[in-house]
Amino acid sequence: MTTTKTNLMTVDELLAIPREDYRGYRYELLRGELTKTISAGFAHGAHAVNVIVNLGAYVARHSLGRVVSAGTTFLLETDPDHARIPDVGFVRQERVSSLDEMTGAFHRAPDLAIEVISPTDSLTRVSAKTQDWLDHGAPMVIVVNPRNRTAQAHTADGVIELTEADALDGGDVVPGWTMSVADIFS
Amino acid sequence: MATTNTKLMTAEELLVMPDDGYRYELVRGELRKMAPASHAHGRQASRIGRRLGIFVEDNNLGETYAAETGFVLARNPDHVLAPDAAFVREERADDARDVSGYFPGAPDLAVEVISPSDRYIEVEEKVAEWLDAGTLMVIVVNPRNRTAQVHTADGVIELTEADALDGGDVVPGWTMPVADIFS
Repeated sequence: MTTTKTNLMTVDELLAIPREDYRGYRYELLRGELTKTISAGFAHGAHAVNVIVNLGAYVARHSLGRVVSAGTTFLLETDPDHARIPDVGFVRQERVSSLDEMTGAFHRAPDLAIEVISPTDSLTRVSAKTQDWLDHGAPMVIVVNPRNRTAQAHTADGVIELTEADALDGGDVVPGWTMSVADIFS
Repeated sequence: MATTNTKLMTAEELLVMPDDGYRYELVRGELRKMAPASHAHGRQASRIGRRLGIFVEDNNLGETYAAETGFVLARNPDHVLAPDAAFVREERADDARDVSGYFPGAPDLAVEVISPSDRYIEVEEKVAEWLDAGTLMVIVVNPRNRTAQVHTADGVIELTEADALDGGDVVPGWTMPVADIFS
């Protein structure tokens, strides 16, 4: 497949798209190509917020960095621009500056990306995105599966499968943070 | 959602359905249609099945089964799944030799090769169903990432192209480099 460079979009162009032109989709930029991701259902949004509230409170209390919501753009590569959005993202304190200076996409990967699976997500696509985060330096990716009420925690060391009886563990990435998997779905 | 039991199909009814070129599974009595596999998918499944089959036969460990084989995981409603490759230990294969129809029970090893359209939740659900029904090891091959996940009761191990599948206690002595699945 040949792709002409002239069709490629930059992350600045992506972020300049007027909100009314989003038409209910969220967008990622896969090596310069605009790619739609689906809008989330209500439960999906609630699961993501359960994590955001729990993780966000812990991170704020211990001044560990910033937690961001779905839709936040992480620019993993430039020229062509490669930008992804997690459902929940965490960036360590030393990598963030004043928010006034961070109005555009975050350059590079988050330290923790959390993805909540939607019923129509293909495994191929989820795995590719997980790998993409890890390949671009995210130390941990957590994939939440509401259907089975499980979560997979991916790091460079491999993957750990967690059930409702287990707890997410921030490990070296968010030291001291734990959250019961069951609480994601409550 | 109300589902009337009268519409549910049994394993025996599935078995005698006319061949229309599609593969079917029975999900708690409901027919699930599956498109024929792409040639890459079929090749990768066959690679594993062949290597596994030769090793199992050479070492008299049991039987291996081709992609369309149905395994009855539960009855009433009937739950019949078909992995892309499967292995059953000698003693269990012997016990079932005279049973006609689908294999009564779960395989000891099930291999699934992911297609681009396979949904994440459905693959994970199928893995959980194999394990819940007694399958000791489920290997999920992801051609896009060229990785494989090995699920057992102990959890999951992710393998890259640099690693090798390992039969562990299930197929003792069997190993196969992940790269060989895709070569």
